[in-house]
Amino acid sequence: MLKEMQQVLRLLMLMGKQRQKLCLRTGGGLLLLLWTDTGVSTQKLNCTVNCTVAAAGPWCAGIQMEALQPVLASLKESMFPCVWPCNEPDPEELSAFTDLYGSLRLLLSFQVKDTRHCTSEWQAHIEAFLRTFSLANAGIQIHLKLKINGETSLRELSVKFKRRVALADQLLLTLDVTCSAPPPWCVKKGCWCVRGHPAIGGRLPLSIPPQTMEQGLFGDLSVQVVALLTPCLLPYPNVTTELTHIQNPSNIPVNGPSGFFQKLPAVLDCQELGLDRLYCSSFKDLVYSGGTVYTVEKDSWDDPEQESSLPTVQQSLLLFFFLQHSDPFTSQLTDLMATEVLIELHLEDILNNNRQAVVAAVQTELKNTLKSQNHRKKQQEKLHAAAEVILSSSMSIVSSSSSMDFRNACLNRMKVCVCQVHDTHELAASLRESLWRVTSWKFVPRAKCFSTKMEVHPVHDEPTTAEI
Amino acid sequence: MSSQEILNRIESIILEIVTSLSKAEAPVLALPNRSSWANVRYFDLNMLQSVTTIRSDCPSSVTKFAQILKILSVIYRLVQSNSYATKRDIYYNNTKLFGSQKAVDSIVDDISCMLKVPRRSLHVLATSKGLISGDLCYMEEDGTRIDCNSSSTVNIVSSAKFVMIIEKDATFQRLLDDDFCTKLSPCIIITGKGVPDVNSRLMVKRLWDELHIPIFALVDADPHGIEIMCIYKYGSVAMSFEAHSLTVPSVMWLGLLPSDLQRLRVPKDALIPLTKRDESKLCSLLERPYLTSQPEWEKEMKLMQQNKVKAEIQSLTAIAPDFLTQIYLPNKLRYGGWI
Repeated sequence: MLKEMQQVLRLLMLMGKQRQKLCLRTGGGLLLLLWTDTGVSTQKLNCTVNCTVAAAGPWCAGIQMEALQPVLASLKESMFPCVWPCNEPDPEELSAFTDLYGSLRLLLSFQVKDTRHCTSEWQAHIEAFLRTFSLANAGIQIHLKLKINGETSLRELSVKFKRRVALADQLLLTLDVTCSAPPPWCVKKGCWCVRGHPAIGGRLPLSIPPQTMEQGLFGDLSVQVVALLTPCLLPYPNVTTELTHIQNPSNIPVNGPSGFFQKLPAVLDCQELGLDRLYCSSFKDLVYSGGTVYTVEKDSWDDPEQESSLPTVQQSLLLFFFLQHSDPFTSQLTDLMATEVLIELHLEDILNNNRQAVVAAVQTELKNTLKSQNHRKKQQEKLHAAAEVILSSSMSIVSSSSSMDFRNACLNRMKVCVCQVHDTHELAASLRESLWRVTSWKFVPRAKCFSTKMEVHPVHDEPTTAEI
Repeated sequence: MSSQEILNRIESIILEIVTSLSKAEAPVLALPNRSSWANVRYFDLNMLQSVTTIRSDCPSSVTKFAQILKILSVIYRLVQSNSYATKRDIYYNNTKLFGSQKAVDSIVDDISCMLKVPRRSLHVLATSKGLISGDLCYMEEDGTRIDCNSSSTVNIVSSAKFVMIIEKDATFQRLLDDDFCTKLSPCIIITGKGVPDVNSRLMVKRLWDELHIPIFALVDADPHGIEIMCIYKYGSVAMSFEAHSLTVPSVMWLGLLPSDLQRLRVPKDALIPLTKRDESKLCSLLERPYLTSQPEWEKEMKLMQQNKVKAEIQSLTAIAPDFLTQIYLPNKLRYGGWI
């Protein structure tokens, strides 16, 4: 089922890409309706699921259903071998959707037999797949409606914060830059950046391996990496950050465990990056989460006392791999679909054929990210060391003062913000806590973190991973 | 100013820090800007300044903030216990925090300026630098009698006819070798070995206050020498807040004057062309607010600017080896060759 859904979405995106040069409008809705026929049990190992894909809104403007039919017919044999025609869905099911997004531009229904595992795990996989799709197509509101075994569930995959970026060849993408990490307790309301800021890497040409060319893949192939670090801590220049996870979704799905990506930690120069350990998380659990996930760990023999006292926010890095292909001799939709399938099938070979260049590109992005992290750590250590001197010097004067007025004034001041401060020992603790908070969580508002409008950024956008 | 007043001022700074933290605000310190002449006004020999802030939440300034607090706590302890320490002691007690002696020296002066008290009231002493010799005896508080004739505050006694400030140690030694202090009228010679420290300036000021005899300056005929002379006479930008206790406005320029170079026909190979830095410093000197009251000094500086050459006092040896002590200085002093 996922394969088929993927093919339909691929078709829609290719059509969208063709029209993009004519129209910059994005936004709209995509409805995926999955249901089993009434009275048919899905308890059996093999079950039949009906699927309807409906699209409406500006993102699919210009699609002519009548013109699409011949394309679908020619694609059916090669792209949808397991697909059977099915009944159209109940119009009532579609009415809510059309009320939101206008008249349907696309309505495709098909039935897939021999679909295994109509279970909640399968449903979770579909949802995860759609979420991954939504990462780079954030302008499209996705509605997933499942009616399986008499149970109905409705999921709306809407993106709270989007950002349009322009890759090479003026390809526009709408990325999901929402940061769902809650702000730490000491951050004031309205002072937390809820979106990431994509950093666009350079375009890297890829050479097509001979065996792939023999299969019919020609033209120019390239990859562009877009890095998205969340949560954004630009407004808090003094806080230490710690990269804990790296995920690398791509616009071309990676089917099954990728040897290239699994071995990536071994070929990266972790010493240059200042990383102690970088390893690939289990692919099995993450295959539908979008790309490979890596875990970053630190060795435990750094000074644990100092490490624990420094305020640290954990961050995750999304490294989008955007593969782009162009061939002046390929313009028909069927050919474009076939090309994309070829790239998907031979992705591993292509990456291995360009191993050095791709690894270098990943190394550069990680270096930029970790440079800012290391810089923050040094700044925080400086603040921490100085804070100790400030506190000890201040307390030395307070403790040795013979002026009761002065001592009482100091004690009374701190009594305002914390519970009763009775002696210099408690005063020292209160001062330490306050100094830590005001210096570590110093807030410097940045226009790009708190602007409300969505911007379009060209290729040379300022990278957020290189925070200087 | 009493010790208690100094302690009170330090306590008020700490209280401001505690108050800021109680309001969840990052503490800041306000330091007078001692690095630019633009922040100095010359008005009846008093100099005023603007301030800059040192923040505790900025990594680029937090170390300085900590250094200031540390030295404040040291000063507090010294004043409270009526003991003394040198700037060197303070540095060596925490070399890692301060990084260099220069940092300590600068911060002690910053604190002196911030608290508006003379540095000596902070119980922090400078390491000795200047030298003094000549017809001068004085007695210290503990009864020790210092006779400056023999070598190297209270009850200054002298029959010296004048005091001569000498820019360089080398010239000072030369005059000692030639027995200058006794051959001509009884006099006192003093050198700060270049840019004078506070103690040297204090000594000159003290001599003027007690003896009221002419104070002459013998410096190289170059912008650096003129600047050193101006420090004795008008004060430095760094210590401008203490100008009233350190300056001697009656200092007179004895030599080496730019006009002397022409008048004495100093050989051309003994003259040095002005560098760009010299020219820049000369321009800066000519723009100093106090120069308008010294037209003759201005004239000499413009002559130097016009001729684009400078010379050291040692250039007079090109005329004759003992020209300085046998001819130049005696003639200058006898016939009023000072401005």
